[in-house]
Amino acid sequence: MDSTSTPSAAEPGSQITPSQLQFTGNAKEYFGIWIVNILLTLLTLGIYSAWATVRTKQYFYGHTVLDGHRFDYLATPIQILKGRLLAVGLFVIYSVVSGYLPLVGALLALALALLVPWMINQGLKFSMRMTRYRNIRFAFKGNYGEAMVNFVVLPFFSIFTLYLLLPWVLKRIDAYIHSNIRYGDKPVRVQLEGKAYYKAALLVVLLGILVMMILGVVLSLVAGVSMNPGDIGSSQVVLVLIVPAYLFVISALQGIYQAQIRNHILNNAQIEDVAEFKSNLVPQRYALILATNAAAIVLTAGLAFPWAKVRKVKALAAATQVVLLPGADLVLDDAQQADSSFAEEAANVFDVDISLT
Amino acid sequence: MVKGYFYLPNSSRVQEAYARLGDEHIAVYAEDECVFESTLTAVNVAAHLPGQASELTFADGARFVPHDVAYRWPFQQRKSALLARLESNLALILCALVATPILLYALLFKLVPGIAVTAVQTMPDAVVEQMGQQSMVLIERTVLSPSELSAQEQHAVFTLWHDTVAQLGLPAERYRIDVYRSDHFGANAFALPHGQVVVTDELARRLADHPDALRAILLHEIGHVERMHSVRLASQAAVASIAIAMLVGDMDIVAEVVLGSGSALLDLQFSQNMEWEADNYALMQLERLGCSGEDFAQALESLVPLDEEQSQSWLKYLSTHPSLQERIEHARNHTTP
Repeated sequence: MDSTSTPSAAEPGSQITPSQLQFTGNAKEYFGIWIVNILLTLLTLGIYSAWATVRTKQYFYGHTVLDGHRFDYLATPIQILKGRLLAVGLFVIYSVVSGYLPLVGALLALALALLVPWMINQGLKFSMRMTRYRNIRFAFKGNYGEAMVNFVVLPFFSIFTLYLLLPWVLKRIDAYIHSNIRYGDKPVRVQLEGKAYYKAALLVVLLGILVMMILGVVLSLVAGVSMNPGDIGSSQVVLVLIVPAYLFVISALQGIYQAQIRNHILNNAQIEDVAEFKSNLVPQRYALILATNAAAIVLTAGLAFPWAKVRKVKALAAATQVVLLPGADLVLDDAQQADSSFAEEAANVFDVDISLT
Repeated sequence: MVKGYFYLPNSSRVQEAYARLGDEHIAVYAEDECVFESTLTAVNVAAHLPGQASELTFADGARFVPHDVAYRWPFQQRKSALLARLESNLALILCALVATPILLYALLFKLVPGIAVTAVQTMPDAVVEQMGQQSMVLIERTVLSPSELSAQEQHAVFTLWHDTVAQLGLPAERYRIDVYRSDHFGANAFALPHGQVVVTDELARRLADHPDALRAILLHEIGHVERMHSVRLASQAAVASIAIAMLVGDMDIVAEVVLGSGSALLDLQFSQNMEWEADNYALMQLERLGCSGEDFAQALESLVPLDEEQSQSWLKYLSTHPSLQERIEHARNHTTP
């Protein structure tokens, strides 16, 4: 659309040294932001949570630095608040109805399921449009039909295949999300393989079974020693042991799966003419980080959360390199010019973050 | 002179540049050439964040970001710096650490139940009726099957019920009893908000020789209906989940876990209090029927052997109920003022 955005001569894998992604924030700074966010959110009965979201994201995006330039989070608290009020409104209607009129609630849940693809798209659109690197915004161009198939229909059908289809469905979901992302006027391309998803899933399932067996033996030994029939207290002791152990194991397994999938996605993704990605996250190392994070959070009653989050983000950044191709300087933000004024008006009306999280 | 990056509007182009600040205006130079000039009033300064340089956004979308992450522009508004100062103030952080659990407690254990109780008082009867009927449809479909008791055994339960309801002077069209077989509930009884009480085959059979014990349980269930406990639990759950949805905005999983277990704890405590209320109701009515707390205590005691044999299926019931032993003592010591 512009004469400057001619196809670049760079070939994939050319001799350009990759730039290291860096996270420059620290736990001490984030702890202050986090605790003040919580305090103000509680004092304002939740209203401040919109400002808290913006502040946290600005902190994390702004401390993510690539090639000397930081990322920006652009949403304003009012946009977040509007979206959240809309979502909470829906949620209020749903929880009141399902609490007092369970049958009507079940029907309402079905109707809400039809809204899910739209809400997912809207959430992705919003978070992409609010992300900027070097004055260029990201964008998401998904559609309702594909989102419906990938997020609702296929996961539902995978139940009937005893979840054997699930890794393939997860691959489709990731492919849908990533191939619809754009950086300014440049599309993202991904080539994902089902094989990688099956490999990761199989490993996690096998490890999970192994760990559960070991834990089962250990817990039954502990319970056998301390269990005193008729005394509920001892079963609560077992529960106190089970919950942290469960969190620890689940986090570790999550780490193993996520590290493999993240490496697969990033190593097979590129922004046309602009960038290629390299991710070398070591699964067992990442698993250890997530598991010890979970343990620290539980043991400190949540106080370790800022430290844990910063530690995780640092590990992710450290494992990521980006090869900036010569076209990186030539990207144009087509969002502003290309949208008709009507589309822009409409976008402003619905420019709210729909997702509840 | 401030060194930094100059970002061109709507483009990924970046230039090494420096900004020169005058009294009323600012100029940006790249390669000794002035690339941008603006009055200070037309410049937007980003919010202060620790460890991040404060960037300037110009009217056309161009930006200037200083290299020095600690740099702050002298003309910045005080407002944007306030939050940053709060977040690095040690005294305030310590206050927040103390205040947060207290506020969470006040919110979940005082405000939410308060709103829930108000909601219950204004609840129209038609909603209560619908709530009971629809819940019953769901429960019946999922975990109940027709009773396998003989007509005679069922008749005994019905008679006991009708006598009790009649003696208490409660409206017979509102209060009804049904007997169902249920593998899910085991030996159990529960009340629905609109006055329907369900007794399982197993419980009826076990207490066939202890009609006083069964009556004590029935009175306890009537107590739940009279005090609108199901409606209160539903309001409680709805209000709590709304409060959590409002709060969880950006507090991530931890907050969800803390808030979630807080509200679960609250539910548990709430339902424990409800059991005591229902017990007290049963004790009061027994008194009116010419029985004493001792009768109720004995009735509960007849449940004890059942409790031990069946600790598995009773575990669910007990987690929300105060311990049987405590209830028996409470019944013994009960004196109507």
